[in-house]
Amino acid sequence: MFRIDAEKKVHFCDGMSRRDFLHAGSMGLAGLTMSSYYAMKAEGRTSNEDKNAIFLFLVGGPSQLDTFDMKPDAPAEIRGPYKPIKTNSPDIQISEIFPRTAKHADKFSIVRSMHHKAAGVHDTGHQMMQTGRLFLNGLEQPNAGCVLGYLRGGKNDMPPHVMMPEPIGPTGGNMPHGQSAGFLGKAYDPFVLNADPSAPDFKVPDLLPPEYISSVRIDRRKNLRSLVDESVEYFESNLDAKLLDESFNQAYTLMSSATAREAFDLTQEPEKLREKYGMNKFGQSCLLSRRLIERGVRFCTVNMFETVFNEITWDIHGSAPFSPIECYSDLIGPMFDKGYSSLLEDLKDRGLLESTMVVATGEFGRTPKINPAGGRDHWPQVWSILAAGGGVQGGRVIGKTDEIGAYPIERPVLPNELVASVYHSLGIDLETELPSPGSRPVPVVDFGVEPIWELF
Amino acid sequence: MREFGRSVLIALVMGVITLSSAPGDAGAEGEIALIPSEIELTRVGQTHQVLVEEKEGALWKGDVSEQAAFHSSDPAIATIDDTGQVRAVANGETTITAQVDGQTTTSVVRVKGADQPFNWSFRNHIQPILYKKGCSTGACHGAAAGKNGFKLSLRGYDFEADHLAITREADGRRVSLTHPEDSLILLKPTAQIAHEGGERFDQDSESYQMLLEWIQDGAPGASEEDPRITHLEILPKQVMLSENSNQQMIVQAVFTDGSLRDVTEWAKFDTTDESVAVVDDVGRVSVLAPGSTCITVWYSSKVTSADVLVPRSESVSPEVYASEDRKNFIDDHVLAKLESLQIAPTTEAEDATFIRRVYLDTLGILPDVEEVKRFLRSGNPNKRAALIERVLERPEFVDYWSYKWSDLLLVSSRNLKEAKELNSFYRFIRESVEENKPWDRFVSEIITASGSTLENGAAGFFKMHQETTDLTETTSQAFLGMSITCARCHNHPLEKWTQDDYYGMANLLARVKLKNGKDGGTEVIANPFGNILHPSKARPLPPKPLDGEPISLDASIDRRQILADWLTSPENPYFTRAIVNRVWKNFMGRGLVEPEDDLRLTNPSSNQPLMDALADNLAKHKFDLKHLMRTIMNSAAYQRSSAPSDPSQPDNKNYSQYIMRRLPAEVILDAYAQATGVPTKFAGYPEGARALQLRDSEVASYFLNAFGRPERKQTCACERTEDANIAQTLHIANGDTLNDKLRAETSIVQAVISEDADNSKSVEDLFLRALSRYPTEGEREKALAVLSEAVSGAEGEELKTRKREAMEDLAWAVMSSKEFLFNH
Repeated sequence: MFRIDAEKKVHFCDGMSRRDFLHAGSMGLAGLTMSSYYAMKAEGRTSNEDKNAIFLFLVGGPSQLDTFDMKPDAPAEIRGPYKPIKTNSPDIQISEIFPRTAKHADKFSIVRSMHHKAAGVHDTGHQMMQTGRLFLNGLEQPNAGCVLGYLRGGKNDMPPHVMMPEPIGPTGGNMPHGQSAGFLGKAYDPFVLNADPSAPDFKVPDLLPPEYISSVRIDRRKNLRSLVDESVEYFESNLDAKLLDESFNQAYTLMSSATAREAFDLTQEPEKLREKYGMNKFGQSCLLSRRLIERGVRFCTVNMFETVFNEITWDIHGSAPFSPIECYSDLIGPMFDKGYSSLLEDLKDRGLLESTMVVATGEFGRTPKINPAGGRDHWPQVWSILAAGGGVQGGRVIGKTDEIGAYPIERPVLPNELVASVYHSLGIDLETELPSPGSRPVPVVDFGVEPIWELF
Repeated sequence: MREFGRSVLIALVMGVITLSSAPGDAGAEGEIALIPSEIELTRVGQTHQVLVEEKEGALWKGDVSEQAAFHSSDPAIATIDDTGQVRAVANGETTITAQVDGQTTTSVVRVKGADQPFNWSFRNHIQPILYKKGCSTGACHGAAAGKNGFKLSLRGYDFEADHLAITREADGRRVSLTHPEDSLILLKPTAQIAHEGGERFDQDSESYQMLLEWIQDGAPGASEEDPRITHLEILPKQVMLSENSNQQMIVQAVFTDGSLRDVTEWAKFDTTDESVAVVDDVGRVSVLAPGSTCITVWYSSKVTSADVLVPRSESVSPEVYASEDRKNFIDDHVLAKLESLQIAPTTEAEDATFIRRVYLDTLGILPDVEEVKRFLRSGNPNKRAALIERVLERPEFVDYWSYKWSDLLLVSSRNLKEAKELNSFYRFIRESVEENKPWDRFVSEIITASGSTLENGAAGFFKMHQETTDLTETTSQAFLGMSITCARCHNHPLEKWTQDDYYGMANLLARVKLKNGKDGGTEVIANPFGNILHPSKARPLPPKPLDGEPISLDASIDRRQILADWLTSPENPYFTRAIVNRVWKNFMGRGLVEPEDDLRLTNPSSNQPLMDALADNLAKHKFDLKHLMRTIMNSAAYQRSSAPSDPSQPDNKNYSQYIMRRLPAEVILDAYAQATGVPTKFAGYPEGARALQLRDSEVASYFLNAFGRPERKQTCACERTEDANIAQTLHIANGDTLNDKLRAETSIVQAVISEDADNSKSVEDLFLRALSRYPTEGEREKALAVLSEAVSGAEGEELKTRKREAMEDLAWAVMSSKEFLFNH
């Protein structure tokens, strides 16, 4: 009964029929319901393609001039307080706030000409960096990890896309952040950790039964539930009912599977390694990502911060409730430096870097000129992003900005090109069409958008 | 209705010609006929496909053209090849004969005006080629930005701009009048020179020949004198096919000058249910499985569709349909459809299922235990109809339907930040539901609302939608079930709506002004001036409802009244069908049109006569929604069991069974509160408030978000999701919603440890509360065994704890079961 859309031909210069069909399916019609990843698994629709991605979202928007696009020769109010340092790659210099990252420049490449043209608020960048599109007409585009989950399903009993530690909360624009499955439907939303993996008593909410429900009781509940379900056996002929059962099975699998349980158990990592990643939300999320990818999760999203208000973040306007520029060297820089460098090193050591693309980016850059509060404001006109692994060659610099780091002067790159690069690395054909509720066919990225080929 | 009438007409016009078949003929069982029965051709070389079709009574039953031998009585007038393609040679008349297994049938071909000069028309011939071959699609040159410097309008609706682009731009290299063969427009698509889009057609194709001849004629543009296409015909309009069979479709364009042309090759085909039948690029339908589907066709901004019915192979006795209970006209139409597909209707739902179903579908709550018991006991033969009447008058009706229309109208503090305005809008909806305000009046009051948003809640609609384009699109989506967003930037590719229609309609909504009102409210004022400009024409168009009559730009009336009158006119087919479909879906689990708010022409209803009858009935009853609900719930179709009549072939489309579905997020949460006896707390709401009583979709609730509460950001039924996912099931299993309710002191579970507890009664109560039925003997036994097993060897507090835990677990199992979480 499941209709296997993956087998449908995709038309170039067409696509109507496929869209309409998928559209119907995504609406959850009885009998047409698109199976979720685990139901797809039951139907053999999943792929064992072992390509993964980790998306490190540097929420707040790091300043290009203080991180990966230093302008030491610019005037003081431009170049800022930090100095460039050499890296293990002859062509690359980065900020002194990232001494450990500097030792891994052979593994990553920098795109210095990322920019977007939408309003310079956090939310627009969040949308574009994670979905490749700005949301128009209220249509929520799906996050790239959700698209992957939709197309490939999960493996090893693990959800395909895990978001940690929390989703991005309000950042001022009152707009969606591109972190859901959007029009693909909730069945493809990321599995959200909703917990701090650096907390001593870290556990995933709802993942494990509360203490007052013993394993004996869990079994009793399961048995009694089957008993009640037995009287309506014919429900099995309904796809939505089947999907619910599959979800329960998956929940039980997660709850009881040693692999899954173990995957989320950071205490199994050597204390030294945990320290190396940094005992904070970001560092431990990086470590957890590696653990999860190793155990079958296909896509991890790490939100470095949940908001930009009343928290020290990359959003260095210089005055409260935002952050001062100094936090880059005091807190944020080291936090990123430890987490990121450890992640690359760890993935490399375990042979996972080849198959796992690691992206680190903010939602925009910052004003070249330091403002009167000593900070820098929003600047979508240009920023730098890092890409490593999953076929990305290290040690390269793509794009170039002018002498004050204000605009790209070579190879300007748009967010959708980065998202296309992620799809490319994951082996997803860019013309694959998605079921949109509007009346237009929606390919994973707009037609004509290409990966940043220079990365590969 | 018009569409339906036409198909009957065609069947008549096609005048089936049958000759007696030879005795002992082993081939086609029924009669055969050639379609079309008459063909008129007006140009030498013009072709037209014919089909040999099996026939039984008025029903087309399959394409046997492949087995046919064709013959033309006068090949000097027109020839016919082995595939049934007729080609005009000279003026005159000839008879085409087809023979299949000894049966013969004929058509008449007349060739006229073949001696007249003929030129290919840019409008009617060239543009359709460019679309069908992919050139003017959104992925290629039809993209907003064109492709590699060559831009065409999407699907070729802009004749002037496209002609200019083809003949004048690129230094005139696209079309070379001196060396037509060297025109880029021929070299590129035939891949004689590099073309990113690859080869679209070859040099031997008719498309190539047409383009070439058009260029040789001087590549003329569209002219005002060009005949226009009035409509498309598709043949056969309705056909009954068997599994694994094929059917070629023929598409004819009918022109204003009365001529008719076979445009099958340049038409775009699609199917509405790919599991039943698919259709290829040349209009050949391949049947995959029993069921019904529509083959939709698009040609030069016109659309039409054909119905394909594929009955199940095991036939059902006619007696089954004849003896089936028919409560009202719904049953006649549903059974007719079922009979055509040879699907047997399933049995009637049991009383316990029925009462639960009616409560959940109409009120969003579970029936009260005493009411269930009374209903089950009652021997009144009319008890179901009486129950429906009672339910329609219950106060929870107002909560449920106010919530539903609040979803539709996006009531949310995200959109109406001022709480007073939100409450006022909600109050308007609620009071309208309470008095069962006719739907046309309800909508009209919204569209024409003026004054303070605090005094006239409906005016909040204009506070929420301040952009004229947003207002136009929301109005169309919410009340017509049609997305016209495409037409904002270009003619709608799937509908007849043009960009002009869009801006005409938008201009009816362009004169709304807002200013700050008293007490934090907003004044909505009908502005005496102001227009929205058509973007490419850079001028306002006369205000005009989509397919209504325009009014003068200077008319000094509140233009919104014109819109409201057109919208709510009983003659407006979209308005009535849109609300019928929403209400139908609520009760029947699947819209006659799916998605429920996508009523475009290329997405026809699964039971057109039923849709028409329901719409007529609602209009006749002055848009009384309770009447519609009553009619639906009283039908035998609504009262069927959800168990399929044939377990190996569940039917989730034609209403042979009740279509079960997961309960909406709010209903599950409220059912948890009701079944456990422990209400949910919502910030800012009094104790005991139910989720369905929330005015604002932004009220925090992990449960509601996880289970798919709509965010009310965008007018789209797709916002609500009922797909199960793992976050939901983990939350039911381990989260604090159900578990906390079960553990609460006030939970019904507590009763089991009271002094005089009767285990059997506790179990029975639980089943009645949660599932509206008594436990089966097996369930009762097993449940009692679990309870006694749990306490064996325990006493005192230990016994109480163990017993309570066991009862909690039983309650958990019941409330996480499919039977609980689904309306069935």
